[in-house]
Amino acid sequence: MAEVMAGPAPYVYVATRLRVRKAKLLRPEEYLRMLNMSLPEITRYIEELEYKTEIDELSPSFSGVDLLEVALSWNLAKEYQNVLALAPGTMHAFTAAYLRRWDIANILTVLRGRTQGFGAGKIKEVLIPAGSLDRAALDRLVTEDSPERIVEGLRGSHLYPVVTRELSAALESGSFARLENELYKQYYADLVRVARSGIKGGYEFLQYIQLEIDITNLQNLWRLREGGATEEVREFMISDGRIPVDELDRVARLDSVDEIVDSLKKRANLEPLREAIEELRCGCPVRQVESRLTRFKLDLMDRMSRRYPFSVSPVLVYLERKRYEVYNLRAIARGKSANLAPERIQEYLVI
Amino acid sequence: MVDVSTAVMTVEMIEASQAGLKAVGAGLAVGLTGVGTGIAEMSIGAAAVGATAENRDLFGLALIFTVIPETIVIFGLVVAMLLLF
Repeated sequence: MAEVMAGPAPYVYVATRLRVRKAKLLRPEEYLRMLNMSLPEITRYIEELEYKTEIDELSPSFSGVDLLEVALSWNLAKEYQNVLALAPGTMHAFTAAYLRRWDIANILTVLRGRTQGFGAGKIKEVLIPAGSLDRAALDRLVTEDSPERIVEGLRGSHLYPVVTRELSAALESGSFARLENELYKQYYADLVRVARSGIKGGYEFLQYIQLEIDITNLQNLWRLREGGATEEVREFMISDGRIPVDELDRVARLDSVDEIVDSLKKRANLEPLREAIEELRCGCPVRQVESRLTRFKLDLMDRMSRRYPFSVSPVLVYLERKRYEVYNLRAIARGKSANLAPERIQEYLVI
Repeated sequence: MVDVSTAVMTVEMIEASQAGLKAVGAGLAVGLTGVGTGIAEMSIGAAAVGATAENRDLFGLALIFTVIPETIVIFGLVVAMLLLF
């Protein structure tokens, strides 16, 4: 009732707040400046920004690159939970569904960490409790002594059916790659279901999700092609995108990049997606193609958030931009600690 | 043959009715422009509060944007005054 009385005002309020937050994120020239700084200088520089609380809190326990990494993870989790608390009505439902990807990342980290014999403390450092599983739930899972017990701890969660189905095969093969694929497929299927469930604003959310699915599929297709695994394309593709999985499977077997691009463009019924496909023609190495596509995806999402200013789009754009800010800062920190040249680190940045 | 007293009464009634309609018009001019201003300020105000919550420096600018629709209600007030005086 309160929501009906308030009209669009809560949506306008949240969308504006997140637009201001997006404007406060680091700009490309700031990353480039950081490339010429030492690690302690970078830490000090970041401390003056939004990461002060986390760095101050964690500096007695960590130092160097670990301090930066843990502070970034904590800040990201805090920020995401804050956005979730701000989002009203349908925006909240969509944002919560979108943030469930962090549950997948966390569960896989816990399972991989435990099977490889890492201690609970080390695993906790890299978890980012930004999804529906909070820090307390993840702490409980980390202390479990076997993968089976970790999965039992997930009973009642949306991940449980897929993890139970795939766990034994993953443990037998020693690789969680298939489990990861299945979890992400389920995640995107859930998102599309939520978008199509008739909740107001679902159309805009669906546009956003389909764009993400298409770009992820293109990135995976390029990776598989590079690795010569064109037979397995169907298994790795996510359905519900604008380009059908059959088409992706077919084009993966074509030899020429131009042929692939032309065929995909014929099936893409959206101009921005056709522009994204055109990016593949650059003839650059797979990592560069991936990063070009990611940049393109972020630009498209920005455009979409301007077209639907009071939908869930500005929220999701901020979440993605923030994720890549943390990703970039982590890349710079890790690159610096490994004494990589600034030009080399710059190749990994999404700016 | 029209009765003079009836004619006087009719003129008085018409004058009273005119004054009443002017008052109603003035009321509508202020009331409806007030509602219009409120609707216009709803989104601007929400955005202004959102922007100020994130960045205090935007307060002055946000306040100016928020009060711009107030001009509509001022027009209504001017029209009401012209009607009444």
